[in-house]
Amino acid sequence: MNRKTLLITFVLAGFLTACAMRRSEPAKQKMFEPATSQIANGEKIFMAKCQKCHPGGEAGLGIGLNPVPAPKFLKRFQIRHGLGVMPAFKKEEITRQELHDITSYMSAWKHY
Amino acid sequence: MFKITFRSPRPGLAVKLLIAASIPFFISCYGIKSSKGGGQLGRHMTRNPQAADVLLAPGYKIDLVTKGLTYPTACTFDDKGELYVIEGGYSYGESWTRPALIRISQNGDQKVIASGSDNGPWTGVDFYEGHFYIAEGGSKAGGKILKIAPSGKIDTLIANLPSGGDHHTNGPVVRNGFIYFSLGAATNSGVVGPDNAHYGWLKRKPTFHDIPCQDIILAGVNFDSEHALDKSAGSVTTGAYSPYGKPSAPNQRISGSIPCTGAVMRISVGGTKPEVVAWGYRNPFGLRFSPDGNLFVTENAYDERGSRPIWGAGDILWQVKPGTWYGFPDFSGDMLLAGDIEFKAPGSPMVQSVLKEHPNKPPKPAAILEVHSSSSGFDFANAAFGFAGEAFIAQFGDMAPDVGKTLAPVGFKLVRVDPASGVIRDFAINKGKRNGPASALGNGGLERPVSVKFNEAGDELYVVDFGIVQMSKKGPHPQEKTGVIWKITKTQP
Repeated sequence: MNRKTLLITFVLAGFLTACAMRRSEPAKQKMFEPATSQIANGEKIFMAKCQKCHPGGEAGLGIGLNPVPAPKFLKRFQIRHGLGVMPAFKKEEITRQELHDITSYMSAWKHY
Repeated sequence: MFKITFRSPRPGLAVKLLIAASIPFFISCYGIKSSKGGGQLGRHMTRNPQAADVLLAPGYKIDLVTKGLTYPTACTFDDKGELYVIEGGYSYGESWTRPALIRISQNGDQKVIASGSDNGPWTGVDFYEGHFYIAEGGSKAGGKILKIAPSGKIDTLIANLPSGGDHHTNGPVVRNGFIYFSLGAATNSGVVGPDNAHYGWLKRKPTFHDIPCQDIILAGVNFDSEHALDKSAGSVTTGAYSPYGKPSAPNQRISGSIPCTGAVMRISVGGTKPEVVAWGYRNPFGLRFSPDGNLFVTENAYDERGSRPIWGAGDILWQVKPGTWYGFPDFSGDMLLAGDIEFKAPGSPMVQSVLKEHPNKPPKPAAILEVHSSSSGFDFANAAFGFAGEAFIAQFGDMAPDVGKTLAPVGFKLVRVDPASGVIRDFAINKGKRNGPASALGNGGLERPVSVKFNEAGDELYVVDFGIVQMSKKGPHPQEKTGVIWKITKTQP
């Protein structure tokens, strides 16, 4: 990675972390209704595995997820393999289908 | 410098995707970010509550009922539907005031009905067959369950409960002739350490420690620390369920006794002998019966502090199954701490179990709430309010940096939880670009919600807001006369 790319990445990261992007029914003044059973299941898994560090996709113990523009496959990669202080979730903890359900929920939550 | 560690079983693949993952990577550099807890960001030490600064789920409104309370912790209603609130009489930060039972009139006026001694905090109140029942935390003289007549006469039903450590005597709820209450653990994770001196109580009670409800066998894991009470004494070694400075041995048996710490117990309304309902909790603060008659508790989970820090443990909503052990000090929810990197505090060794054998595997939690949210008092909604059967939980908010680091304020709001699915949704939050207490956001919204209570009809939700508690490296800085009561009602049928 050359210096220019590194600088752009840092600036972009700073910009993204500055965006709080609150997502909740009081903030949106709109109820969230999962449109599919996959999204509903993804929400349940997210609550069991992710919510404690990323409440409603906002920052808490961990970073805010709502502003992260990474594609779904990258999010699934990070969940499966972990990074930094984030633990890796093995197949015994989150199945492949559940991984897809979680990212479907995250996408639906981010854009509702 | 921070250290990057891949926990992937296939590091080669991880390296290939490093560049593609650069954005989330740079955002997730936990080690180089400073803590931004809600109490750390506070700039305002006075309070001007404004209902317009609170956002609710669509179809509800919030009103201010009364303000100027000192460390309020809970409220209830008498048989005429009149509102009563208790002032705790103690706040973390070693601030003692006089606990009190106060009647709140419809125009918000306050009248003291009874007041206690400097042995707070009074943590909860319930009304049953003509009397108020109050849990006295016991920070100085041990926990108590009090019975208070409407005239203000106070009777002590049970005393000398082993409270007075990190956590207190909590509750109570009265149901079918029994008073259910709880005792929090003495420590963060079973081991007395320097953090307990920082909290203040270790100087007052240098031999105090956790007490199991049943006999347990220790693994013999010990923890070294600088002597927090005598700097000239060098280091000390302490074992689990042992006084500060006393090591444990492998296969050491610790006798259980009742009353014990980290447990839900009950006494009959006319009795004095406690019996254990369930045990193995860290700090079971809120207790309520669901509409179908099941007892639930909220558990404030481990912190990243002391000789045995635990990282990433979420607060928990439990359904209480009588006779069950709920995992303290070796589990978070139904997950074993030992050997799980999810609970390893950065810069600390992997967590080891301190118990050689566990009484049972803890059951699955009803819900896992945010780490450090201090999910505290709660109540169940009925159809009159909406979201029937869901638990409305007050989140006091983080106490960072004492409890560990957070990247943003956690809690400081009300959430609703479906106990069947574990799904958590925000219900009442503050206006603003980010979450946090009003004192950090510079508005008049919620500060530190500590409990909620529905009225008898179930169409009004009362929120007890403890008031301002700011945080620094020296510890908590609570502000007297900043507590308020809010009321939430529906605006649509």
